[in-house]
Formats: sequence, C-alpha cells, structure tokens
Amino acid sequence: MTLEDALQQALNGLSFGALLFILAAGLSLIFGMMDVVNLAHGAFYMLGAYVALSVTRATGSFWAALVVAPLALAALGLLVEPLLLRRLRGRHLDQVLITIGLSLVIADFIRLRDDWGWGATVRSLPFPAGLDRSVAIAGSDYPTYRLFVIAFGAGLALLLYVLHRRTRIGALVRAGVGDAEMLSALGVDTDRLFTVTFAIGAGLAGLAGVVAAPVFGLQPGMDVDALIYSLIVVVVGGLGSLSGAVAGSAVVGPADTFGKVLVPQFALALIFAIMALVLLFRPTGLLGRVRIGR
Amino acid sequence: MSRSTRIRAAIVLAVWVALATFPEWSVAWESSRFAAGIIRQILIFAIFASSLNLLVGYAGLPSLGHAAFFGGGAYAAAIVAQRLGTDELLVSLGAAVAGAALLALVVGYLAVRAVGIFFLMLTLALAQMVFAIAFQATDLTGGSNGFSGVHRPVLLGIDFNAANDLYLLVCAVALLVALLLWRLATSSYGRALVGVRENERRMRALGYDTRTLKLSAFVLAGALAGVAGALSAYEFRFVSPNDVALGTSVAGFVMVLIGGAGTLVGPIVGAAVVLSIERVLPSQLPAQMVLGIVFIAFVVFARQGLVGAVRRAVRA
Repeated sequence: MTLEDALQQALNGLSFGALLFILAAGLSLIFGMMDVVNLAHGAFYMLGAYVALSVTRATGSFWAALVVAPLALAALGLLVEPLLLRRLRGRHLDQVLITIGLSLVIADFIRLRDDWGWGATVRSLPFPAGLDRSVAIAGSDYPTYRLFVIAFGAGLALLLYVLHRRTRIGALVRAGVGDAEMLSALGVDTDRLFTVTFAIGAGLAGLAGVVAAPVFGLQPGMDVDALIYSLIVVVVGGLGSLSGAVAGSAVVGPADTFGKVLVPQFALALIFAIMALVLLFRPTGLLGRVRIGR
Repeated sequence: MSRSTRIRAAIVLAVWVALATFPEWSVAWESSRFAAGIIRQILIFAIFASSLNLLVGYAGLPSLGHAAFFGGGAYAAAIVAQRLGTDELLVSLGAAVAGAALLALVVGYLAVRAVGIFFLMLTLALAQMVFAIAFQATDLTGGSNGFSGVHRPVLLGIDFNAANDLYLLVCAVALLVALLLWRLATSSYGRALVGVRENERRMRALGYDTRTLKLSAFVLAGALAGVAGALSAYEFRFVSPNDVALGTSVAGFVMVLIGGAGTLVGPIVGAAVVLSIERVLPSQLPAQMVLGIVFIAFVVFARQGLVGAVRRAVRA
C-alpha cells in the first residue's frame, strides 16, 4: 500500500467513523437515559434513508431530505415511546423485546411499499449537487461527499457536546442518566424527558440513514448491518456516554476500513476481535460507565 | 414415577403416536402431503425453539444469536456428509452436534460474562460474525448462493429419502429431544439453572460455579439447535445463509415467547403458531409484519405466553 492509498483509506475510515458516530450516538443516548437497547435502531436508520429517498424525489433536494427525514423519525419516536415503551417502564428486557417486534414491522413495511418506490429492490440516492465531484488530495482524487460526512459528523459531535454540557435539556439528560428516579422526585416530568430522549435518538438514527444513503445505497438488510455496527461501536466505546460513542466510532470506523483493504477475508473478524478483546480486558468499554461483562 | 408423571407420559406418548401416524390416517385428505410437510417443519423448529428455551426460559439467558448454532449445525451436517461422501445419519448428525457445540463454546465463553440486555447484545453481535463467516467462506458454504444438493440420510440401511420416511425420522428425533429436555428440566441441573435465573448471587453464595453452569447450558442448547439445523438441511436439501441470520434467531425467540418461556410445551406451541403465520396464512398477508405485531402484543399483554396464560386460566 502506497502512502497515497493509505491516506485515502484513512479518510474513508474517518468518514465511516463519522457515520458510525451519528448512528451510535442515538443508541447510546437512549440507553444512557432509559436502560433500553433500542434494537429498532437499525430499522429507524433504514426508514430514515427511505424517507430521504422519497423527499429527494419529491423536492429534488437532498438538503430538504436531510431536514425532513430525521424530523419524521423523531415524530415516530414521539409516538412509539408513550404508546409502547411507557407501559413497560422498569421491565427493561421486555422493552428491548418490543423494539425487536417494531423492527420486524418497519422492515416488512418498507419491503411492501413498492408503490412508494421503496420495496425489496436496491435503490440509490444520488450525491447532492455540489458534493458530487472529487477533489485532489495528495495526488489522487477524493469524493467531496465523504469529506462532507467527516465534517458533518465532527460538527454534530461538537453540537451534541455543547447541548449536553451547556443547555438546560442537556443538564436534564445528564441528571436523568445519573439517577432518573431522583430527578423525578425533584419534580421533573421524567415521562416527558424519556419521550423526548427517545425521539432524539430515533431522529439521530434517521439522520444517519440520510447521510449514509448516497454512499451505501438502500436495500433490504441495511437495517441489520446498521444495528450490528452500532452495537459494536457502543460495546467498544462504552454505553451511555457521548464520549464513548466518539471513541468507539473512532476505533471501529478506521479498523473496519483498513481491515477490508488489507485482509478482505477477515475484515469482519477483525472488528469482532476488537470487540472481544475490549470485553475481556475492559468490560465497561473504552470510555463507558456501565459494566457490560463481569 | 409419580402418578402425575405417568399421566403426562401417557399423554405425550398418545400425542406422539397420533402425530407420527399422521401421514397414514390423513391419507384420504386432499392436502395431507402439504400438511405433513408443515408438521415436519414445525417439529424441526420446535426442537430449535425448545433448545433456545433452555436458555431464555430456564437459565434466564436471553440469547438473540441462537441461529448461529442452528445454521452452524446445518452447514456442518451438509459439508461433512459431502466431503466424506457418506449419507450415514450418525456421521452428519454427529458433525452437526459437534460443530454447533464447539461454536457455542466459543460464543458462550464471551457471552456468559454479560447479563440481561448485555447478554442479548453480545449473542446478537457474535452470531452475526458467524453469519459473516458463512457468507464469506464461499468455498466451504457456497456463500450467498447457499449449499444445495444435501442428501437425505440413511441409518443402518434404512433410507430416509422419501417424504414419509423423513417424517418418521423427524418425529423420532423430536421425541428424543423432548424427553431429554423433560428429564433435564426436572433434574437438579435444571433446578440449578432456574436458580441462576432467579438469583445468581445466591446460587454463587451456595457454592455453585454459575459461569460454568451457564456456559454448559449454552453449549447444550447450541448442540440441540445443531440437531434441528441438520434436520432442516435434510428437509430442504439446502442450507442458506438465512439459516444463520438474525431473522432465524428472532423467529426462535418469538416462538419461545409466544408459546411460553420456561415451559416444555410452550416452544412447540410457539413453533406451530409462527410457522402457521409464515406458511399457512394467505401469501398476500405480510407475514413478518403480522409476526411483529403479534409478538409485541404478547410482550405487552401476555408475557407468560400461550401455555402460561392457559395454565393461569386453569388455576383461577
């Protein structure tokens, strides 16, 4: 591998990592607050991508989709949390099981909507105008859209950090993650807080779906892929914290990308090996606060 | 044997004989062959779901990666039979059990460190790795095309190629597995697993090595799932990556929960319900969506499953 190739792959790894961050941030946020691993997260990601496909077709603008799809998924989250999850408050495993059922329903719904241009065939979303070119970096061409993904992921991480540390809702989230029961005793409406958290998490999954769609396309099975990758990221980085999602995606994104180039047969084995090592030697994940293993 | 055990044994035997002779007494029906095919598949998945129930229902280990051992067993049976050029049942079934148990040992070694939701996450992710291997090792497994041309087995010169003969084989294996699980559930080992589910710390305090206990249950459940996988390979003469995929793990979990986790009959009932939705309902109905909605309804309103609900109704 030449130096130019290495640089290209490093950029690919960074852009994949940025995407994984958007995906894992939502999963981690919901877990941190509600102790629920949302297994419909991949289905939300997939639905976000398909909503983006429809919005782009209708308006001709990717940027409209980038706004509408996450909002649509957040709205779905606003419905799902009070209708389904709230009934089972305290029964964390059952809440997780409900999200499995939900993911079956969403994936089948997408498969059946041939009439909306969704369905079971592979679809693609074109790169947005202005980001469909390549720029010369270190002697070779690099697609601008991937650079945009890196910048977008970094910007989002910064935004989430500021929201988390400097705003009232961020303070409420931090308090809720620490001790939701105490927060409730202090007079905060935790039901509403949980609903909003779940909606933000679902919106982030939808956002990841939109951003990923031009790169990876839209097809059945993308929900499972997204779910598995986001689970690996949160296990490696640590569940329930923003910095954990950053650390996990910064490790898994480049590791997966370089693995696919250097040892194509064992690329998946590589990231699973990283996960296994983290589990054995650092059961909380790199920066987590929750012990996953013992 | 106590009186209630004898009554139960008599009921099990009567139901089994009725099932095993189904192709004979239903022969006049128009759809007898189709129904017998469905029953074969229900029994195969009942074995799969029952093995998962050992983890979910008894040991309290919610595994969402059980398809790894079902598919792993199916691939092991198909590949070993083909490479050795033999149709001997004991060879391919033995390969399935050994392969699935070994796989379960590796996955379980990592997964039993975690509890509850984390156990579920880990089994899901690790099983997905098995899926990825099955998908990528094209030379061995046929990759995305699957492994076709699996032969139906022979045992001591008896050929199980014809549908009715395969039917008897599946019935016999299902009975053996059911009896094994029944024996296990009432043994001190089964009680110890329930103890781990109810209060793992107390079991440790009582001197049980709970991690080894959980790992042994995981390996045993994996081996039994491998048996189901081998039967599935004979049934369809085909093994596909789908057999290892998340969808199959989810299907097993749904069967256990709908039927009733922690009961011996529950997973069998669950397998019948799920396969009826998937194979018998009119094909224009969205099966996965129906399944998802039914599953959610059971989690919210009848977490104890069909068998649990009936028991509760009988007691009340």
